[in-house]
Amino acid sequence: MIRSSPNVDAPVPPLWHRLLRSREAGTGVGLLVLCLGLWIATPFFATVDNLLNVAEQSTIVGTLAIGMTFVILTGGIDLSVGSVVALAGVVLALVLRGGHGVPLAMLAAFAAGISAGAINGALVAFGRLPAFIATLGMMSVARGVALVLADGRPISGFPDALRALSTTRVGGVPVSVLIMLALFALAHFVLHYTMLGRSTYAIGGNEEASRLAGIPVARTKVIIYAIAGASAAATAVLLLARLNSAQPIAGIGYELDAIAAVVIGGTSLLGGAGSVTGTLIGALIMSVLRNGLNLLGVSSYVQQIAIGVVIVVAVLVDMALHKRSQTLTV
Amino acid sequence: MHRFVLRAVSLLSCAVLLVLTACNRGGDSTDRPVVALVVKTLNNQFFIDMEAGARAAADSLGFDLLVQAPEREVDVERQMQIVENLIQRRVRVLVLVPNGSRELVPAVLKANAAGIPLLTVDTRLDAATVQAAGAQVVSFIGSDNVDGGRIAGEFLAQQLQGSGAIAVLEGIPGHETGDARLRGFRESIADAPGIRVVASQTANWERDQAFNVTQNILQAHPDITAIFACNDVMALGAIEAIAAAGREGSIQVVGFDAQDDARAAIAAGRMAATIAQNPREMGRLAMLTAARVLAGEVIPAEQPVAISLVPER
Repeated sequence: MIRSSPNVDAPVPPLWHRLLRSREAGTGVGLLVLCLGLWIATPFFATVDNLLNVAEQSTIVGTLAIGMTFVILTGGIDLSVGSVVALAGVVLALVLRGGHGVPLAMLAAFAAGISAGAINGALVAFGRLPAFIATLGMMSVARGVALVLADGRPISGFPDALRALSTTRVGGVPVSVLIMLALFALAHFVLHYTMLGRSTYAIGGNEEASRLAGIPVARTKVIIYAIAGASAAATAVLLLARLNSAQPIAGIGYELDAIAAVVIGGTSLLGGAGSVTGTLIGALIMSVLRNGLNLLGVSSYVQQIAIGVVIVVAVLVDMALHKRSQTLTV
Repeated sequence: MHRFVLRAVSLLSCAVLLVLTACNRGGDSTDRPVVALVVKTLNNQFFIDMEAGARAAADSLGFDLLVQAPEREVDVERQMQIVENLIQRRVRVLVLVPNGSRELVPAVLKANAAGIPLLTVDTRLDAATVQAAGAQVVSFIGSDNVDGGRIAGEFLAQQLQGSGAIAVLEGIPGHETGDARLRGFRESIADAPGIRVVASQTANWERDQAFNVTQNILQAHPDITAIFACNDVMALGAIEAIAAAGREGSIQVVGFDAQDDARAAIAAGRMAATIAQNPREMGRLAMLTAARVLAGEVIPAEQPVAISLVPER
């Protein structure tokens, strides 16, 4: 992840220049431009209430995209996360309905998510399956297990303690937003200050070189996919708190939203380059865009076009900003 | 080169925003009350008809109507986001066709808290959940789906002369609408002991899924002589699967909703019958009710919309 400067002898550029050159700059500017535009376009956007509303709405995709960032950084992909959200949610609901407390139910949900993720990881690392195939299989299996466990029906009626996750506010900020931000901070720490984080970037940069350098590639991959499963479980907890119901058909298509947030955030699908900060901005861009289009009363059909265009434009801008560094590192 | 791309992209985004702003100004410059209709999906003719009925009424009442729907019908959370965003938009009345009978109750609470009156159309919210949460729904406008299911069951029992194997295509499990249709259908079928439901599976309201599910059912139960689909979209998928299996004419298909495509299929003799709800009337009545709410009138909690068999007997 060390980006070499084109002329090494040049003096260190000023801070703003480095900020502008950073991986997140393009996306950050994009988010600002979007917000500015919406602020001009509608009086309903730039209110404290609405901005908190947008932040709350970004928690689902945002939390899910944390794990996806890890996976994509290694050059992999996880198509199963949407289904794993449903599975973890159903497990959580069933344990709660069985009369157990919220802590045990959450433990069970995380166990389900992490197991599904670890199986993905094992299939990729030891089974040598392409990540696309392994997680495509899990996408179907996890969905099926969720449907079987729930008998195809939504499960509802939970203790207030769970619901509190979506109704409580701390200093005016929804607690779900704080949870998401804490998870992002944790992920940032892991990626930048731990061996696991460095291995993640290294594997994505060059897997063979990483192996030769003594990085336990297979074990790291299992852990990475387990992290994706864990973030799916965390998403399930937030989703349940929000809807007060666990649906075995929840989360269909969420994997694509999560991938979009990661990619808009500037993480390369080839692996090795990117950050969770970018992903957070990416998730916010998607929520702000959807919120803005609703506020403007844009037709649901046109909204889909707009979202598609933004994904492509975000990646174009990112590529333009990093053309030089990419040609150097690839 | 990359500067060029950047400039082009910036210009493009500015242009898009300006256009959006311009579009929006058109709506906001007037003082017409803004009313929102949030439906389950716009991939179903039923809701497009509902939108048309609502739009015509909104125009004559002088409303600005916003119609929104999640990209995927199963995406309950996204519908909740839309409701939250429209609350932020401070629409005067919210008309909701809930994607989940329990799941949308928290969103209703938010509308209540914002003081925005909320009507439900077509699909009821779960009464117990609404009560437990203390949510307020001004009025429900829709047909009695149990009745519709019953009419479908009576029709099939009569057509089959009281005996035969039949299959059912269910909607998304847990959706009040589908569950009610199914309940009514099963009740009336129970009165004809010679009729056996040999397969009852969900096709999640979707045409392509109904095609596949029907194909599988035909493999497993070649003896079936009728299919009841909980909506026309699935019924249309079923008749395609029947045609593909070369069984056209030997299996009677009854749908629900009386969409144009289904009426055409009935006229062509490919489908036996459907149950007519009147989505246009639902949309119209929703707007009239919204006007009455804004005028401060007292609204009945239930406003039924007639339901009937097509073709008429």
